[in-house]
Amino acid sequence: MAARTLDITALTCPMTWVRTKLELERMAAGEALVVRCRPGEALENVPRSARDAGHRVAVEGTTVRIVRA
Amino acid sequence: MSNNRRGFLRELASVVTAAKDAPEPVVPDLSDAEVERYSRQLVLPEWGAAAQLALIEASVLVIGAGALGSPVGLYLAGAGVGRIGIVDDDAVELSNLHRQLLHFTPDLGTPKSESAAAKLRFLNPDVVIEPYQVRVAAANAPALVEGQDLVVDCSDSFATRYAVNAACCAARVPVVEAGVLGMAGMVMSIKPGRTACYRCAFPTAPADAPRCADAGVLGPAAGVIGSLQAMEALKLLTGVASAIADGFLQVDLATAEFLRVRVARREDCPDCSPL
Repeated sequence: MAARTLDITALTCPMTWVRTKLELERMAAGEALVVRCRPGEALENVPRSARDAGHRVAVEGTTVRIVRA
Repeated sequence: MSNNRRGFLRELASVVTAAKDAPEPVVPDLSDAEVERYSRQLVLPEWGAAAQLALIEASVLVIGAGALGSPVGLYLAGAGVGRIGIVDDDAVELSNLHRQLLHFTPDLGTPKSESAAAKLRFLNPDVVIEPYQVRVAAANAPALVEGQDLVVDCSDSFATRYAVNAACCAARVPVVEAGVLGMAGMVMSIKPGRTACYRCAFPTAPADAPRCADAGVLGPAAGVIGSLQAMEALKLLTGVASAIADGFLQVDLATAEFLRVRVARREDCPDCSPL
């Protein structure tokens, strides 16, 4: 299954995580979400918030891949 | 949010839930404006679209638009409760303004239900606000609470609280009771038939119970108690945390002491034992 994608490069905190969280809520466990972030705040906070919420996270450049718990 | 949309969402959810092989759980979309307006609660780990939609679908009756009803109304409208009824038969008086946050000096003489409704509509135009300029009593309480998802009792007398408790028990509508006087107060959430009710906790009114009008109250004390009621309301509507049930929270703001008092259901409670 192709991973879902989400572009949050136009957003600032806390909307970066709000949009990511709402997208994750719509997904099934094990599904992957690829999030395109701006460097800086989003790239620091989105992976951390996702990990805190119990999801698996991998960061590559400005792309954050989140597998829903 | 219009009634039409709320009805539409409910209909859509039932249709799609009924469909076979639905690809994923149905979560109706929040609008961009809703996501932004509610972002500081949506971002909470305990909150999310499901909790927000539960609020948007909810109908809550706030009894009293005074010192407790003001923070309750403000927080529930701000949080996005879909429909809020405000019941109060009084008019705004000068002596109200030190504690009743919904009313301002130009509102003097205006019915409190109307004054409150106007402010809540300013705060959140998506919420349907229904003012009722009536005094709640045993005779009309059943009709007022019927069909509500939750009642928040912000009245200022034992007689009204008993009437609201009895009506909510009979209709099995959850209710948040509270009282405030001086620098102290109490808050109690009630799930009729499941947890102790207000009459279980206080079987009879104290013989010398003073009313606010006789005894005075500090504004922030009422603000704290009303805010606690709003918090309880959000918990009961969404299930994001446990309510103060089977007991009450006693708050003394002079000493800054919060005490949780346990209460068991009474087998002989005239209001909730039949449930």
